Amino acid sequence: MKRANLIILIIFSTLLLTACVGKREINDLALVMAVGIDKGSEDGKIKVTVQVSRPGDARGQTGAPTGQSGETTWNVEAEGESIFEAIRNLTGVASRRVFWAHNFIIVINEEVAKEGIGDIVDFFTRNPELRMRTLVALTPDKASELTSTITSLEVTPGEALSKLFRYTNISTLAPYTEITDLLAAYLSESSEPLLARVSLKERKIDGLKPEEGAKRKQVELSGAGVFENDKLVGILQADELQGIILFRDNINSGVVVVSCPKEKNNNISVELNKQKFEVKPTYKNEEVGFNAKLDASVTVVEAGCSFSISNKDDVEQLEKAVEAKLREDINKSIEKIQKEYKTDVLELGKVFQNKYPYEWRKVKKDWKNSFSAADINLTIHASVDSGSLLFQPTISGKEERKEK
Amino acid sequence: METTSKDMRFTTELEKNIAKIKKHLGDSVDLVKRKIYFLGNRQVSSVLFYIDGLASVEHVEKVIDAMMYEGNEFIKRNQLMISDLETLIEQHVLMNTSFSMITEVEKALVAILSGDSMLFVDGCEKAFHIQTKGWDTRSVDEPQTEQVVRGSRDGFTENIRTNTALVRRRLRDPELRLETMSIGVRSKTDINIAYITGTVKKGLVDEVKKRLNNIKIDGILESGYIEEMIADSPFSPFTTVMSTERPDKVASALLEGRVAIFVDNTPFVLVVPTYFWQFLQASDDYYMGFMAGSFFRIIRYIAFVISLTLTSIYVMLVSFHQEMIPTPLALTIASGREIVPFPVLLEALLMEITFELMREAGLRMPKPVGQAVSIVGSLVIGQAAVQAGIVSPFMVIVVAVTGISSFAIPNYSASYSIRLIRFPLLIASGTLGLLGFSVMFSLLAIHALSIRSFGESYLAPATPFQPNDQKDTLIRFPWWAMKKRPQLADGDTIKLGDHQKPSPPDKVKKPLKLNDENQSESEKSKNDEDNNKDYEDITGLRRWKKKSGGNKGEKRKE
Repeated sequence: MKRANLIILIIFSTLLLTACVGKREINDLALVMAVGIDKGSEDGKIKVTVQVSRPGDARGQTGAPTGQSGETTWNVEAEGESIFEAIRNLTGVASRRVFWAHNFIIVINEEVAKEGIGDIVDFFTRNPELRMRTLVALTPDKASELTSTITSLEVTPGEALSKLFRYTNISTLAPYTEITDLLAAYLSESSEPLLARVSLKERKIDGLKPEEGAKRKQVELSGAGVFENDKLVGILQADELQGIILFRDNINSGVVVVSCPKEKNNNISVELNKQKFEVKPTYKNEEVGFNAKLDASVTVVEAGCSFSISNKDDVEQLEKAVEAKLREDINKSIEKIQKEYKTDVLELGKVFQNKYPYEWRKVKKDWKNSFSAADINLTIHASVDSGSLLFQPTISGKEERKEK
Repeated sequence: METTSKDMRFTTELEKNIAKIKKHLGDSVDLVKRKIYFLGNRQVSSVLFYIDGLASVEHVEKVIDAMMYEGNEFIKRNQLMISDLETLIEQHVLMNTSFSMITEVEKALVAILSGDSMLFVDGCEKAFHIQTKGWDTRSVDEPQTEQVVRGSRDGFTENIRTNTALVRRRLRDPELRLETMSIGVRSKTDINIAYITGTVKKGLVDEVKKRLNNIKIDGILESGYIEEMIADSPFSPFTTVMSTERPDKVASALLEGRVAIFVDNTPFVLVVPTYFWQFLQASDDYYMGFMAGSFFRIIRYIAFVISLTLTSIYVMLVSFHQEMIPTPLALTIASGREIVPFPVLLEALLMEITFELMREAGLRMPKPVGQAVSIVGSLVIGQAAVQAGIVSPFMVIVVAVTGISSFAIPNYSASYSIRLIRFPLLIASGTLGLLGFSVMFSLLAIHALSIRSFGESYLAPATPFQPNDQKDTLIRFPWWAMKKRPQLADGDTIKLGDHQKPSPPDKVKKPLKLNDENQSESEKSKNDEDNNKDYEDITGLRRWKKKSGGNKGEKRKE
């Protein structure tokens, strides 16, 4: 009995002897909300901007009053030879331990990206504290400025930035790129990374007086950056992106504006609501080719002219117009990627490799050229399924009277 | 006892008998010695002993009346010529319902001390032991600790007879047996063991009796004494013996093949063997609809998990695993903790102890002051502590939810055992994070798995898994679907007849007719059919029917 008691005593005292190893209270942490990476003031140096949330202000007054400065975040920069060194230098400024697990987004300046992002990918995937689902984006502006841009909608700018990406699969203004996607594309032997791009633009915002010309810089989604290996080689604008994203992700939506079948100067807008996209590789005479097929069902969402969903001729004409418009858009983007940038961000290499694993060995050495020379054959079929709530055209009653 | 065998028996001499009683009981003020002269001519002297307060005045008066007046009259009137005094008194004088004759001094002492009267008659070797028990008791009241919305409102009292009667009234089963014994060298407390011979497992009653017989103690003042002396794992924080104030709970336990231990002078009756899950089941579950019953039972399971783990998980997440908290929530928690000077673990312990203090003070306070505690307590915990920046508002919520959850557990002893094991969990997760939490939780789980209650696994029917018993564990199946008694019961295991699921009469074939005659006729024939069905179908209940001699059928015919 005595021995048992002794053992229990020892077990419990070892528990106390741990002295709370690894313990850090949540209020002793500087929760990072966003990270910006710019070029340093000197050549070869890197500047890291960290946006740390100030919970006391970010959450208003819960309980006791805190030392408030009214700002929800605390943005601080540090420079170093490497990212890690820059972050180490942060500790000289930050009174709390910098904690990365809640980071929303990493913003990389394009100047840095042109020189290569290999070290960035490595650092942010090697560190166990960072989540692999953090968003990554490029910016032509200063990353430090971008991360600290205040929107009046969200409490912390980092959160606002990340929430811009919430509906990218509908708007297709930028791809949704997490660090895990970046890593996968970077490590892949076929496909190349494509990163979302955000930029600052002056806009009139409610609350400021527009008549006095007051404007405020706001962050907006603006296309994507195309990489070759770890270097940024080109930019795709937001309107060129729809065709590219089709190849990479399942996109739910998209808007196509075509001119009316009868009245050419008025427009009809259709929304793509179901898209089935299929790419099949071909390999004939040692030449790589792809057959891409797009089945889209579209809904008429706005008609500036007399258009009736029950009129078969109208519908047929509209379908053809939509198909032509889609073909034009997609071809334009593909052409730019294939001929101008010559990097496989369409992930076609992956498709080819899956179908022809043996042939892939032959072509992979010179995949850059094979890709740019590949013939991509587009088949597009659009069907107008619905006119939303209206079957009949919206025409003024007076015009109808004239017709009769 | 150093008395010789001669000393332990009464003699024919009255004075000696009186001396013997006086020697043992002394001159206590409440011991009443009443001298009576009996039989006018012969003038036999006799003495009545009883304890004032324990014996009912009415009963004692009756005895005196019989001895001094009515008995004499009766003998005179009927010219009875019986020379043997003992037989005369036994057969013609005493009018009390139950009495016996004893010769041992020891028994006489116990009888006097338990409220009966002893009558010594000069010349009689045997003493008359007359049942005159009758003292003031609390009336049957609503149980204080286990309240229900729907269900009987009578609870056990301090009187063991009332208690056994409350159970007997619910189970008119000839197989319900009550065995008596008395424990406590000085207190000689009455203990009754109740069980149903048809459902109790073989050997269980013997085991209970064996454990009870092994108890050597000077006094039993409450069933808690017994509970601790017969528990299987004396060092466990878990209670392996259930105590209840509700007669319906005891009755249902008896039907399930358990054994109930009644202890005199306490309204808490013990039930063994006990499963852990029983503590999370309330009587309401069985009296409300099965859907509502199951829902509230699930709520109680959730309450159990919350009261056991919530504080620990909060402490663990906030002080070790901040990455596991969703970002917006992390910010909210951080903002609340911004100026709190203590580590989370200390903060949690502080609040838990304050809460326990309030609970304990509320319990111990005289009722009129109780209100003050709740006002001061809620002010201190809810408002002042947060405003002073000593604790974070989040911690207040966590501790309050934990406390409320612990009150949702129907059995008080189970709720405090859960409250106890919460502290090692809290300290482990506050010092070692998730690792400490999982290690301590595993230790507790292994311990709970290892203990038994009277031969039954404590965590049954979850482990070992008993498929049939699942009908009454996490959710309660409707009564018509629970055909068998739990695995625990032995012998008569079927408790339900066949085809008990109710359904309306066939609408298509026999539509209800408005004509009175037809309706009554069809009803009659239907009743007959039902009766026949009763005899054909109910296989499980047949045995019982045979024994009770088909009483029900006869009554119906009358």
